[in-house]
Amino acid sequence: MIDEKGSFRDPAGKIYYENNRIFRKLTTLGVERFSKLKESNIISKSIQKGFLIETKEIEDNEKNNKDLILEHEKIPYISYPYEWSFSQLKDAAIFHLDFHLFLLENDATLIDASAYNIQFIGSKLKFIDVLSIQKYTEGELWAGHKQFCENFLNPLILKSKKGVKFNNWFKGNLEGIETNELNNLLNIFDKLSYNIFVHVYLLNKLEEKYRSRKSLKPIAKNNKKISKKSLMAILSQLRKFIIGLHDYKSISTWDDYSTNNSYSSEDKNNKKDCVTQFCKKNNFELIADLGCNDGEYSILSLENGCKKVIGFDFDINVINKAYKNSNIGNLHFLPLYLDATNPSANIGWYQKERKGFLERANFNAIIALAFEHHLAIAKNIPLNDVVSWLVSLAPTGLIEFVPKEDETIKKMLEFKGDIFPEYTEENFEKYLLRNSKIISKSKVSSSGRTIYEYKR
Amino acid sequence: MINNKFLTIIFIYLLCSISKAHAYLDPGTGSIILQAILGFIAAAAATVSIYWEKFKSIINKVLKRDTKDNKDITKD
Repeated sequence: MIDEKGSFRDPAGKIYYENNRIFRKLTTLGVERFSKLKESNIISKSIQKGFLIETKEIEDNEKNNKDLILEHEKIPYISYPYEWSFSQLKDAAIFHLDFHLFLLENDATLIDASAYNIQFIGSKLKFIDVLSIQKYTEGELWAGHKQFCENFLNPLILKSKKGVKFNNWFKGNLEGIETNELNNLLNIFDKLSYNIFVHVYLLNKLEEKYRSRKSLKPIAKNNKKISKKSLMAILSQLRKFIIGLHDYKSISTWDDYSTNNSYSSEDKNNKKDCVTQFCKKNNFELIADLGCNDGEYSILSLENGCKKVIGFDFDINVINKAYKNSNIGNLHFLPLYLDATNPSANIGWYQKERKGFLERANFNAIIALAFEHHLAIAKNIPLNDVVSWLVSLAPTGLIEFVPKEDETIKKMLEFKGDIFPEYTEENFEKYLLRNSKIISKSKVSSSGRTIYEYKR
Repeated sequence: MINNKFLTIIFIYLLCSISKAHAYLDPGTGSIILQAILGFIAAAAATVSIYWEKFKSIINKVLKRDTKDNKDITKD
């Protein structure tokens, strides 16, 4: 039994893992909350509507006690909001509001608004924290309002209005983008929008007033309530506002890479053949596509026997495109933001609350096409380290080696100069053999690009 | 942008009329006060919309009658 270290904020229950299954043990507080929901069938209704992760009650016969334990469907790969693109966070925000509105219609509500409670299964969203749902009491306030602003609204406004990528900022501050920080960045024209004025400017102003208050006297007094109708109106207004937010357009290097690159059509076909054969003979459950761009090879992998693909790229614009492609095809393909030279680390309380990239690497295979030279040449990572890091991610995979004679590397070295004498195919093979066996190698381009299949 | 005195009055009024939230998550005082303001605006908007709907239905009735009259005239 392994306890989930990130499951501690709500004392109503705790997640643990056993035999590759996911359980949630409810405390007395959790049992009380869950029992009320069971009476109204809201849990089963939420699962049927596709909002909530599959959840069932199990009897803990082994331990022979009366604890209430729930079992949840396993998520193929846990991702965090700082790894999502603008479109992914926007969809998650709308999904969260839709779920909250659905619950309110059914006399239930959400007690928080954490973006970490939403996960992607392919391109589909699921709410994973059953204990965030509780019976609605007439007049109660939206407890998760501030959290919703920091986790969803503020990062979206930051990107949409200022063109600032929220990912690295969010990663540095687990709770998202603080309202006062965003407020300082927005100008008077941004604040003319009703929702920005209210949820950023006014909220910040009120918080500032409270902070400057000297008295320690508790502020809670009589019962000030907000009607359900008003609460639903606030949620609907926010939903409408978020739908209207658009990504700030910026051109990135890799925006048109899949249509504008140095491959001839013959080279491309060779590359596709390699991926097709590799996937067909293995029927992988879950693979990682490193440097996935708009998902061309991820989708090819799915078409040839892979069940699920997690794509990674450090260009946030192409993640948006890949996500769109996954949505169009309703695919089990989840593209995520990853800077391989500074990947998501273990962060939060005890540095165990949110897991790093390596800790979550549960892939059956990797495909890393036209990827290694971006680390070895562009980022000066020693070739040996690049190879051992890639091989550590999965027991088998495809890695494309790009030689110095290739146009891409010539361009990369144009101003830098050739400061990488050890970057040779011979050394690449040597390092690969230190970490694994080479199953096959195929030359895929006239410039000498070669795809290696390795097995540990 | 907003009058500070006005904001202070709203703040003091709302501060005296806030209930304790029994939740593991601290909603934040600013958020509670803001929701009270927004709740008031939303409720006012709902009231206005009721009267607006009534007004529209009266107008529609008048227009429908006119249309009917017109149709009747056409039939004749």
